[in-house]
Amino acid sequence: MHIPLFGKTIFLTIDLVIAWSLLIILLSTAIIYVVRKHKYPVIWEYIRTTNHRKIGTLYMIFGFLFFLRAGLDALLIRMQLALPNNNFMVYQLEKYNETFTSHGTMMIFFAAMPLLLGLMNIAVPLQIGARDLAFPFLNALSLWLFVAGGVMFGSAFFLDSSPAVGWTGYAPYSTVQYTPGAATNFYVFGIQIAGFGTLLTALNMIVTIIRNRAPGMKLMRMPLFPWAALITSFLILIAFTVLAIALYLLMFDRLFGTTFFSGEDGDPVYWQHLFWFFGHPEVYILALPAFGLFSDIISTFSRKKVFGYPAMVVSLLMIGVLGFMVWVHHMFTVGLGPIINTFFAVTTMVIAIPTGLKVFNWLFTMRGGKIVFTVPMLFAIGFIPSFVMGGVTGVMLSLTAADFQFHDTHFVVAHFHYVILASTILGIFAGLYYWYPKITGFKLNETLGKWHFWLFLAGYHMTFLPMHITGLQGMPRRVYTYGSDEGITALNFTSTVGAFLMGISIIVFIINIVRTTRHAQPAGNDPWNGRTLEWSVASPSPEDSFTPMPLVERTDAYWYAKKHNENMKVAENPRHAPIAKDTLLPFLMALAIFVTGFGLIYQSYWIAAISGATIFVLFIVRSFNDERESVYGRGDVK
Amino acid sequence: MKKIRLLFPLLLLSGCSNITVLNPKSTTGKDQAFLIWLGFGIMFLVLAVVFFLLVKIIITYRYKKEREHDPTHYLNDKQKRHLQLAWTIIPIILLVILAIPALWISYHQSPVAEAESRHEGVHIHVSAKQFQWTFTYDTDKTEENLLILPEGESIILHLSTEDVIHSFWVPELAGKVDLIPNKPIVYEIKEPEKGVYKGKCAEYCGIQHANMTFTVKVVSKEEYENYINN
Repeated sequence: MHIPLFGKTIFLTIDLVIAWSLLIILLSTAIIYVVRKHKYPVIWEYIRTTNHRKIGTLYMIFGFLFFLRAGLDALLIRMQLALPNNNFMVYQLEKYNETFTSHGTMMIFFAAMPLLLGLMNIAVPLQIGARDLAFPFLNALSLWLFVAGGVMFGSAFFLDSSPAVGWTGYAPYSTVQYTPGAATNFYVFGIQIAGFGTLLTALNMIVTIIRNRAPGMKLMRMPLFPWAALITSFLILIAFTVLAIALYLLMFDRLFGTTFFSGEDGDPVYWQHLFWFFGHPEVYILALPAFGLFSDIISTFSRKKVFGYPAMVVSLLMIGVLGFMVWVHHMFTVGLGPIINTFFAVTTMVIAIPTGLKVFNWLFTMRGGKIVFTVPMLFAIGFIPSFVMGGVTGVMLSLTAADFQFHDTHFVVAHFHYVILASTILGIFAGLYYWYPKITGFKLNETLGKWHFWLFLAGYHMTFLPMHITGLQGMPRRVYTYGSDEGITALNFTSTVGAFLMGISIIVFIINIVRTTRHAQPAGNDPWNGRTLEWSVASPSPEDSFTPMPLVERTDAYWYAKKHNENMKVAENPRHAPIAKDTLLPFLMALAIFVTGFGLIYQSYWIAAISGATIFVLFIVRSFNDERESVYGRGDVK
Repeated sequence: MKKIRLLFPLLLLSGCSNITVLNPKSTTGKDQAFLIWLGFGIMFLVLAVVFFLLVKIIITYRYKKEREHDPTHYLNDKQKRHLQLAWTIIPIILLVILAIPALWISYHQSPVAEAESRHEGVHIHVSAKQFQWTFTYDTDKTEENLLILPEGESIILHLSTEDVIHSFWVPELAGKVDLIPNKPIVYEIKEPEKGVYKGKCAEYCGIQHANMTFTVKVVSKEEYENYINN
């Protein structure tokens, strides 16, 4: 479509016209709503907040928006693949490549990660008896960096320069020789900026969990979700640092003519090593929090303590450590040689052992209990068989010679969607239903929740189960079409129907949220008959939670107190709460970094230099501001 | 490995016998299909155990009003220890059973860098660029997007790329192998059977990636000799 603008005509493909129209309609509706209902104070409050629950809520909201966008990409992909030799709208060739790149990148970095970080933000302090994260200011900065990165990456599509290098961004295709222009820069800078935010959150989590637990809450008395958050944070610390380095080198290759990943001196395989050294632990970064969450949910709704708690902790640790020793199983076909391939095949198989142990311990947590089928528990029960199905194909993929056939086909697509959707996405939904009362004070509707669960589970298996066979039938991943003679038409069509079932389930979920906001009754402090500390504070959790501070004397201390009809003991002289003071600085810093990123993407170095200088000015402003002064007074300056 | 492969027809009885990768047309492909079946068999066992336990547990221990005041069943520490040991050790045994043939086959099949290869057989150079395949034979005959192979021989492929990374894949014959810039790789396909197969690029390489296909014809040795000398 040709559109006249300032005397010029610009050509826009039909999907861009629709997307822009939708964006304008949605934004103006939002603005009208804010103006009509006088909501500015809420927005002003949330932009400046440093409270962990509010930041967590913002993580969830933005993460869910990106989740919708990436989900829409998935539906477009499935529409194009529904029939052989199909021509759905413009989704062939480059558009298709852009769509799967956006889908993968956004789902991993801007949907799954922030939704998990949001849950951690909300629940971890409440579960360990901390009044906030250790560094509230840093927490706000992390959030806004993630939003900056996400908006930056998301805007690429609207500017008609979506990256098309796959979420793995393999060099040399991602170098400037083969993908010149701004598109791939959006990939580099979008992830880089959001990645900094993730790194800072990891540091924050580690310090909070090590230092800010309630008195008596020994590490081995912690619920498993904070344990998972702790180990995940260490994984993030290492993996995202390596990703930052990889992206940094790629940035130099693209903008300043270095040749780390191409040419005579460079090697594209370096990129693969760096990327997968991040990429495989990333899978566990997505899965471990879900493991922890499901452990807590299964224990709560079986009304029984976790089976083999020490083994559950040790297996989390082992998965975390082994996660760094398997990255080459993504590169079996690269020709690194038989000895390297064999080593990494063995380490990959070994991961199955701690993971299997967790599965059986979950099963035996339920055994002997009284299983209540609430919505969070349904998600947990749906998770176990689905995840195991993804896990066993993982072991099959570790058989190197068999992997030569599986590699880069829809079999792999089926495998990682099975694993990530089962753990991360089902986990996020379970967590949302579970902690929704702590976030908003209301409980989501159970009936709609069950519709959401069953539709999603059915759609999920219907989409990805057939992909195992299409892959073995010879369908590579990242192809926009296939022949009618390949015998995969019916299977692909089934996948497409399944994808739309998942889409419908998400609509049910949104209806549930809207209805709950309008009609629900307050849920009370402890709607699920919980076991852990978060259920002892008010819903939604207040900003001065844990006053008075409880003294923790055993695992599931809150449950024990309820059982024995006694109040939890109060700790004398608890550690001072971290001081959370509203401030606009984190938002401004992220904004400056956002502008710098845009300057670099379009290589307008003046803009980048000016906004880069602004960042440093803001750093200096920050270092002269100590929000603790108002509480502790000025420190001794000597 | 040949003896173990005798089990293969038995496994085929479980259906799915028309799936491309599981119906390979070369010795290399058959070894790979055997591994896929072996992995699938053992993993199916694990899956069945988990499904059975899960269903049994959620039916037996679901909450009912009359169970409200029943005591919760806990296992004692010794039972717990034994159970956890069981599901640590049994998977190790299963993995060892799986690992021995898998590592044996994989060790012999893994593609190697050009310098390390010492194979006897029919040597063919495969060169890829966006979005086209070029095959060069011993006699300097070259052809684009059409690969002719002699049946029953060991085919030694020398793979290289002129631009980005591609991946050579003929699902009926064998697994894939990547083509990396500045780093020629050698991959062996043993004893292909006569037929016409479709080859594909399996590593995303750009706008026309989906259409970067080629045809493979496996012919008799005489036909092959005639072809490369023409």
